[in-house]
Amino acid sequence: MARMNEEGQWIVLMGLLVAVALFFLALIVNQSALVGQTTAEGVLEFPKNDIRDLRGAILGYVDAYEKYGSDKSKAIHDDIVEISLERKNAVVNFTVGERRDVSGRELRPVEIHYNNGVTEYDETMYY
Amino acid sequence: MVNDTGQLYTMEGVAAGLIMLLTAYIVISTTSIYTTGDTHIPDMQLEQLGSDVLAMMDTPDKERGENQLVGFIKNDQGDDLRDRFLDNCKMRAGDADADLRAQVYLSYRTSDSVNTIPLSPADESFTRRENTVRVTRWVQLPSGSYSHIPNIETSRPHAVLVEVLLWRA
Repeated sequence: MARMNEEGQWIVLMGLLVAVALFFLALIVNQSALVGQTTAEGVLEFPKNDIRDLRGAILGYVDAYEKYGSDKSKAIHDDIVEISLERKNAVVNFTVGERRDVSGRELRPVEIHYNNGVTEYDETMYY
Repeated sequence: MVNDTGQLYTMEGVAAGLIMLLTAYIVISTTSIYTTGDTHIPDMQLEQLGSDVLAMMDTPDKERGENQLVGFIKNDQGDDLRDRFLDNCKMRAGDADADLRAQVYLSYRTSDSVNTIPLSPADESFTRRENTVRVTRWVQLPSGSYSHIPNIETSRPHAVLVEVLLWRA
């Protein structure tokens, strides 16, 4: 050992460091593909557009409720509930209550329940 | 007796060789990222695009005005609905997205069941094996008689579901 040439040890050490750094960089690149997949799956699975759209439809129902009364608008309520179950695999229910005073305005409470087996969503809004 | 003066050099050579091999393997195998269909990234983008276009078409041009989507459904213009939908999807900078295809369906409730009818004629290139996404939109259909929608009750307004199957050929 003592007679070995010990010059260039820094170069060897730096080479080792570079190799280790490359190793970790490669690991990170390797993860990035998977991260994109899980993100995309998460976005696809979460029914953001469905819920927004359902709220819009329910607000349309509340307008019809005002216009036609609870008996005639019942059919629209049933449209939304039954088509949701049949075509969207989602259990949906919603109710419209009597007007009440909310911060000085007379608004109707609208309760929405949504469950598609993966995402459960409940909301009470005043409209 | 074999001369053993170079043993450390040998070990170092072996270690360096292993490290280089490992690094080369990892670098080469990871810089080529596989984005096959089952990563769902294109699906996610397509679904978002379709939802946005439907939302846009469901918005009236003016206050208390009628929106495009209801107009197309009322007047049995399933073809126009599909073409306008695709035009809106392709409205972007860069090359035209000529491969985009769509098929429009309508779901509505009759007195005893939920019916789904195609609004646009079937795409002849559709093999049912495409990687499709489905986007939907609730539409308020006013009361009236619609001869192209079988068995729909005419005496009341409806909430109907517009479903668009969207894929790249």
